[in-house]
Amino acid sequence: MFKQLSERFGPWVSLGIFLLMFLWLVMLVILPQILMIDYSLRPNLPPSQIGGPEDQYTLRNYATLANNAIHQSIFFKTIWSSVLVTLCTLVVCYPLAYYLAKVATPRQAALCVLLLIIPFWINEILRTFSWFIILSYRGPLNALLLSLGFIDRPIRFLSGDGGVIVGMVYAYILFMIFPLYNAIESLDSNQIKAARNLGSGWIRTHYRIIIPHAKPGIATGCIMVFMLSAGSYAVPALLGSPGSRWFTQIIYNWFFEGGDWNQGAAYAFILLLLCIGFIVLMMRLFKVGLGDIAR
Amino acid sequence: MDSSVHLDHVMMQFDNFVAVQQTDLKIESGEFFSFLGPSGCGKTTLLNIISGFLDPTEGTVRIGGQDMRRVPANKRPTSMIFQNLALFPLMTVAENIEFGLEVRGVRKAERRKVSERLLNLVALPECRDKRISDLSGGQKQRIAIARALAVEPRVLLLDEPLSALDLKLRQHMRTELKEIQRKTGITFIYITHDQGEALTMSDRVAVMSAGKLQQVADPMTLYRAPATPFAASFVGENNRIEGRVVRVEGAQATLDCGDLGQLTGQTLDTLSPGDTALLFIRPELLTRRTSMTENCFTAQIQELNFEGAYLMMEATPLNSQRRLRIQLLSDMNLGDVATGNQVMFGFSAEDAMIMSGARDV
Repeated sequence: MFKQLSERFGPWVSLGIFLLMFLWLVMLVILPQILMIDYSLRPNLPPSQIGGPEDQYTLRNYATLANNAIHQSIFFKTIWSSVLVTLCTLVVCYPLAYYLAKVATPRQAALCVLLLIIPFWINEILRTFSWFIILSYRGPLNALLLSLGFIDRPIRFLSGDGGVIVGMVYAYILFMIFPLYNAIESLDSNQIKAARNLGSGWIRTHYRIIIPHAKPGIATGCIMVFMLSAGSYAVPALLGSPGSRWFTQIIYNWFFEGGDWNQGAAYAFILLLLCIGFIVLMMRLFKVGLGDIAR
Repeated sequence: MDSSVHLDHVMMQFDNFVAVQQTDLKIESGEFFSFLGPSGCGKTTLLNIISGFLDPTEGTVRIGGQDMRRVPANKRPTSMIFQNLALFPLMTVAENIEFGLEVRGVRKAERRKVSERLLNLVALPECRDKRISDLSGGQKQRIAIARALAVEPRVLLLDEPLSALDLKLRQHMRTELKEIQRKTGITFIYITHDQGEALTMSDRVAVMSAGKLQQVADPMTLYRAPATPFAASFVGENNRIEGRVVRVEGAQATLDCGDLGQLTGQTLDTLSPGDTALLFIRPELLTRRTSMTENCFTAQIQELNFEGAYLMMEATPLNSQRRLRIQLLSDMNLGDVATGNQVMFGFSAEDAMIMSGARDV
């Protein structure tokens, strides 16, 4: 790679590019992670004892979770809710992505994409907060449903996980739409016509032709949305109720309220590792390879 | 079983563009029927209308006498072979062939029987479990045919399916398609811009241009007696010579063709002296002459191509800029036929077609 680059740009420029890349990778990606791993493996000590005889590597921080039933249940609820968010996002996005890729005229598609992107010019906190207003007890959604006569008393949308899930589906729509759109768009439209011509109805055409083709895109979108929702802090903090705490909030509390960075780092790594494990399991289950996703 | 296809006043309009002008056509049951025309002439639109992918702006399609207006594409007794074949790459060969049966809820054992029979028909029994990407171009072609036949269509629609194949394979597939059509007795509707394909395979050919049927006839009639100037120049090669009518005597007309003098040919149009008209003469109907008689001229040979059985040449008549194409059998005594030489050529009045210039497109 260096040879190619230096043939093109000369040795000095290429060296510069490599140095920058190296710095970026080491300073911004690898070092902070190593630092956090190091933190997670040390006990939380007052500053005077750091480097003293007590400062030994230990797995105690990781064991904390195993002994705390409440944290465990919040952890598994986070995973489960993230799965739910991922599925809801997929269900919302698939028809839209199909429409954009295969039905809409270029003008309609451009308009639609614009409408999807514009809300994302607004800060995430602000967007999430607007959902807080929409879903609140005396908010516009309840007012609308009341005036249409669907309900006779306001619903507390924000008391359970519902608000959090709605907020996250909204926040991560783009991460699902674009991989899906790319995947479906690359399908030859004649395949759809051929299936139809052979007698296939719409539902079968989707699950036999379009979805198998779009599987890598679906996997990419699902992984992104799952990881983002499992690691989300702002949405559950704003839209969640005390009963719908997210695991990230516990991590946050360790860091900034408990002041125990070591414990927080350990929790963060457990979340990361288990999420990766879960994704690998799902990829096995649905027979998606890493190569498919990189496609 | 009646598998005829009727187009009654079918018309297709996209916004302001008329893709297919009002068309009435009856395609007989069991016929091999071709639509021949340049790209953009509306032939693919017609195919999409018959298969139900497009609803005509006006008119109706009937298949086997049955009105197809309310019948969606997936319920029609038609089956299509796409230009790019559109085989399903994520399924095996057998799954591709059986897809249409799977859709119809046919049991697995039954499906297997059908796919085996069809794989034998297209002579590829060993490809059953192969992936589509492992097949060659010709094999894919045959699998596409098998897949289309598996649903036992009454009408098979073929959208330039041979265009991606090389010449040898294309010629081979022509005979094979014709053979399959004969064996199955299904109505074949074939779309092509290749006149060779249309002429060799079809029972009847419809020549299309600018959304309009120019002529519907069997290949021989089409070649020998084209009905419109477009059909005359599109089907086979033709020399087209403009002129002004001098005389009309029964079915014969004489034109003043300027630099070529007066030329006489057959006409079916009503012409009167002074009208502009077109004379068409095929390259192979121009022959060498030894004495100057009617329909004769001397021309200088500009280009000479040896094509095995034939010599194809371009020649410029004296005092003229036009280039005429002339085809001679190469086994005759060619004498002074060589590039740069001046040779006398002529044709008989029965071989030339004269059409009114008003019908030119």
